[in-house]
Amino acid sequence: MSMKGQLTARKLVIKVTVGLAVLLAAMSVCSFIGSEKVSLQAVLDGFGRQAAVNPDYEIFVRVRLPRIFLAAIVGAALASSGVVCQALLRNPLADPYILGVSSGAGLGAVIAVISGLNWTFIGRSPISVFAFVGALGTVWLVWFLGRLTGKFHIIGLLLAGVVVNTFFSALIMFLTLVAKSQQVYATIFWLMGNMVEENFLVLWCGAGCVVGGILVLFYIAPQLNALSFGEEDARSMGVNIGRTQLIAFGVAAFITAIAVSLSGLVGFVGLVVPHGTRLVFGPDHRKLLPLSAIVGATFLVVADTFARIVVAPAQLPVGVVTAIIGGPIFLILLIKYSRKVSWLK
Amino acid sequence: MNKWFWLFLAIACWMGTGFVLFGSHQETDRSNTSLSGQAERIVSMAPNLTEILFALGLEDKMVGVTFHCDYPPAALRKPKVGTFWQPNIEAVIAAKPDLVITLGFEQQRSFTERLERIGFNCLAVNVETVSELFEAIDRIGTATGKQKEANRLVSDIQKKLNELTVLVGREDKVRVLWVVQREPLRVAGRETFINEIIELAGSENAIGQTIYKYPPIGAEQVIASGAQVIIEPSMTKEEVSSQQESAIQYWNKFENLPAVMNHRIYVINGDIVSRLGPRLCEGVETIAKCIHPELFRE
Repeated sequence: MSMKGQLTARKLVIKVTVGLAVLLAAMSVCSFIGSEKVSLQAVLDGFGRQAAVNPDYEIFVRVRLPRIFLAAIVGAALASSGVVCQALLRNPLADPYILGVSSGAGLGAVIAVISGLNWTFIGRSPISVFAFVGALGTVWLVWFLGRLTGKFHIIGLLLAGVVVNTFFSALIMFLTLVAKSQQVYATIFWLMGNMVEENFLVLWCGAGCVVGGILVLFYIAPQLNALSFGEEDARSMGVNIGRTQLIAFGVAAFITAIAVSLSGLVGFVGLVVPHGTRLVFGPDHRKLLPLSAIVGATFLVVADTFARIVVAPAQLPVGVVTAIIGGPIFLILLIKYSRKVSWLK
Repeated sequence: MNKWFWLFLAIACWMGTGFVLFGSHQETDRSNTSLSGQAERIVSMAPNLTEILFALGLEDKMVGVTFHCDYPPAALRKPKVGTFWQPNIEAVIAAKPDLVITLGFEQQRSFTERLERIGFNCLAVNVETVSELFEAIDRIGTATGKQKEANRLVSDIQKKLNELTVLVGREDKVRVLWVVQREPLRVAGRETFINEIIELAGSENAIGQTIYKYPPIGAEQVIASGAQVIIEPSMTKEEVSSQQESAIQYWNKFENLPAVMNHRIYVINGDIVSRLGPRLCEGVETIAKCIHPELFRE
């Protein structure tokens, strides 16, 4: 590899700090971009006052900021989970959804919409609760089926994921045809990935789960490095493969399920951000994980801002934007850096 | 093991802090408090709701409508707050409404909840059947202080509907195939409000009970339906004539279907029949004219 250079704690801290600064800058710039003009003065006036009619304050604090934080959380979760899936499955096409999260969550969401349930659980609608349960349940099912094919059988796991995904997608299509047309539309936007503002408790807990999950993955980054060379090599380096796989998949599925239950199926982030980050910063998971999370968060914050303003005052589902601006950026990176990086061959 | 312990402790503390900071903080809920008051600034989140509000004479009080609200034409001049499916909550807040009227199904229900969480006054109505339409007009009338106008609007619609049903009730029931889309072929099933309109117009759905609301059907079922009239709603007013030509071409392959043999294929303006609103009678009348043209000759 041409991008040699020993990774030291100091270099990592500098890179992560710079990354976080860029993320914060992007978030603050994006919070002043929107279909409605918001004056900072009016927003500051709104603090500490109760029930005064102050649209600027309401828009900025109750709608825009929560949505920007949500985008950052979801982006970080999907990107870091994508890193782990690509490392464990040793497959460049792997993304967080490959082991059935998307179809499981989609099925849960569609069932919630069709059954017309109407309650909330810690501020969450039935859609997100069902999606969360569906996502984790499906990953467990795929993991279980994969295990039946052999203990560390990556191909078995991948195929089980593909088949379960296809099967559940067919169920989703069947259910949407049975449903009333209006209900179907409601799920279509969810399936495309759609950001709305959330209340602060949900954001706070979501951020805790996702950052915590990323830290767990960071802890096992050395083992992930070993695993990405192949199981034989990893075993010879003394890595407990079963335990590493279980923790990595479990945590990746967990934070993906959180992201999906918060914002629907936002595509492309989990596939492209890990690749892009790896192309630029190299494949060492100790820096790839935190940097991917930061890049993913920044990317989704920017993409969601586009989603808010491109067709204003209407809005686009953010999943449409991630693919449209993510694709070209990724291709540029691929062409520019691929000659330098040996693993692409 | 130590680092794991500290990590989980940190996560637990973080969560605990969250519940302390935000858990007990009940969001201000001002919904349903002043729904019978005099709304001064109204936002409508659906085209048929806009039509109802205009019909109740609330034009001057409306401060926001969706992109698809194009009837009556005056609605086009109102500020836009996003589309029916993708409402823009920022634009709604900026309109400073004291009443937001939404539809009661999933996409808009969560939108309504978000607005109520911030403290806006919302009225969510279900308008999926004709009886729900009357109820919705009544509730909107109450919420906006236009009770009398609402009662009059409902009785006007009912009176006209009665006249129409009496007129077509003397005729034989005609089998109607209501085509939602041609490729792949999908038609309106029995559990739809289209079915209700078809029956009000003195005809019956050529398709029987199905599990799907808008079932995709094959050539076999088309022939078996024995449809005497085929009706296709167009997407826009402008497409009616071009779609009429392509419809005749398309349906020619079923040359033995009664509707095709007797040239009973009609393309109508989809707007007036896809919106359940004050123009319901116009829609029913348009369909009745297709089905029983002889009744409307004079």
